[in-house]
Amino acid sequence: MTSKLTFPISCSAAAIAFAMASPALAGGTLAGSSITNTATINYNVGGVAQPAVNDSETFVVDRRIDLTVAEQGTSTTVVVPGQSNAVTAFTLINTANAVLDFNLAATQTVGGTASHGGTDNFDVTGVTIYRDVNNNGTFESATDVAVTFIDELGIDASVPLLVVANIPAGRATGDVANIRLTATAREGGVAATLGAALTQTTGANTAGMDTVFGDAAGVADAARDAAHSDDDDYTVQTATLTLDKRSRIVSDPFNGTTNPKFIPGATVEYCISIANAAGGAAASNIVITDVLPTTLTFVAGSILLNGTVTGSTCNADGTAGGSFASGTVSGTLASVAAGATRTLVFRATVN
Amino acid sequence: MLRNLFLFAAATAAVPAFAQADPSVSLASDVMVERTTVGPDGRTQVSLEEPSTVVPGDKLVFVLRYRNNGRQPAADFVVTNPLPAAVAFQGSNDGSAQLSVDGGRSWGAIGDLMVTEGDGTRRAARMEDVTHVRWTFAQPIPAGEAGRLMFRGVVR
Repeated sequence: MTSKLTFPISCSAAAIAFAMASPALAGGTLAGSSITNTATINYNVGGVAQPAVNDSETFVVDRRIDLTVAEQGTSTTVVVPGQSNAVTAFTLINTANAVLDFNLAATQTVGGTASHGGTDNFDVTGVTIYRDVNNNGTFESATDVAVTFIDELGIDASVPLLVVANIPAGRATGDVANIRLTATAREGGVAATLGAALTQTTGANTAGMDTVFGDAAGVADAARDAAHSDDDDYTVQTATLTLDKRSRIVSDPFNGTTNPKFIPGATVEYCISIANAAGGAAASNIVITDVLPTTLTFVAGSILLNGTVTGSTCNADGTAGGSFASGTVSGTLASVAAGATRTLVFRATVN
Repeated sequence: MLRNLFLFAAATAAVPAFAQADPSVSLASDVMVERTTVGPDGRTQVSLEEPSTVVPGDKLVFVLRYRNNGRQPAADFVVTNPLPAAVAFQGSNDGSAQLSVDGGRSWGAIGDLMVTEGDGTRRAARMEDVTHVRWTFAQPIPAGEAGRLMFRGVVR
């Protein structure tokens, strides 16, 4: 397919100003565009400049379908049981050299190693894909738009996606739900409509624009299938609280604080401790209530909150707070970290 | 492959006008796609194909074949090939090619060329900055002599 041309032309190709090379892009040259290469010979014969000789060759850039679905970040999404609108975030990038639509599907795996370790052992509910309109990685129902496909995504353009789901109640710390987002490239060209499925040009090459699938394999799809997928997961972290209540006699009217006895008029100190198991999440806003027996009289202002324990010994420390009303002692612990123990301490006298 | 038939027709019509001026040098420009395939025996095979299916990232081999069909030597023989904008230069087959990164105003080896960025800073030129490739022959091409020049590119 070579042609030998002898083509005199009056101007030299070298004189034609050429645009500066632009940096290579992942998507690259637009599918369907023609590339023409022209070479020129200038020469003299017998000291006389001869007309330049040119030859050109043109070919059409075909359409390479390529895309990437990737999880944003590299860590699991920590959730608590019963949480609604828990988010895993992904990015879809169109690395094809054509504008395309992309069908989206969020699926859940059953068993197996999850994206960030651990074994998938439960399914989340109400899985919905949203376009993260303001690209902040956070789900805002008033801003982000639920989508089933991405319409007319440009060359090298990316779109942030959020997979939003609800976590069932009753899950334990360490439970994992794996989420898989798969995008499949479709024909672009018609706005607001998911285009038809793509087909590779099979058989003989055509002179026009062919279609070639050039995508890599994702976590659950093959190479060169016009689809790409990635996983992310939810890991449950919840607080497991244990409550302990103990008492000691502080003093009695006769022995004072030396070997006090449990007699009328004696002062008793109660220590309610809340232990949060290690490895879970911090528990916050823990409301403690204790109904005082009628045989005891509350010592006004004696409540101490956020005290500590040493081993099994209540340190009876903390800051004043809480309240006493209708025979009930109440107090709120703002937060108890995983592995920590905090106390509510109060005193009463024996009637 | 699209062949520029218009040029061919124009050339045929134009040749007689220059017949007395020694219209004797011919040039054929070809583009091939370099494909690397792994055979059943695990060996990689490199083949050159017609550019029927070309996608970004494909390696291209440009072959320029010249011939002096005339009866006299062709002196000051210069073959110039501007790079298509969609092709990034990847080097020539020998060190004899001169390169330009400024649209053909200045020429040299890649290591001697500088590029001015949009913000005014200057840096050493890279292969993909090349806008033109050129071969300048010191000796005249004798009558009947033919040759082949080659360079590589990649589809942006």
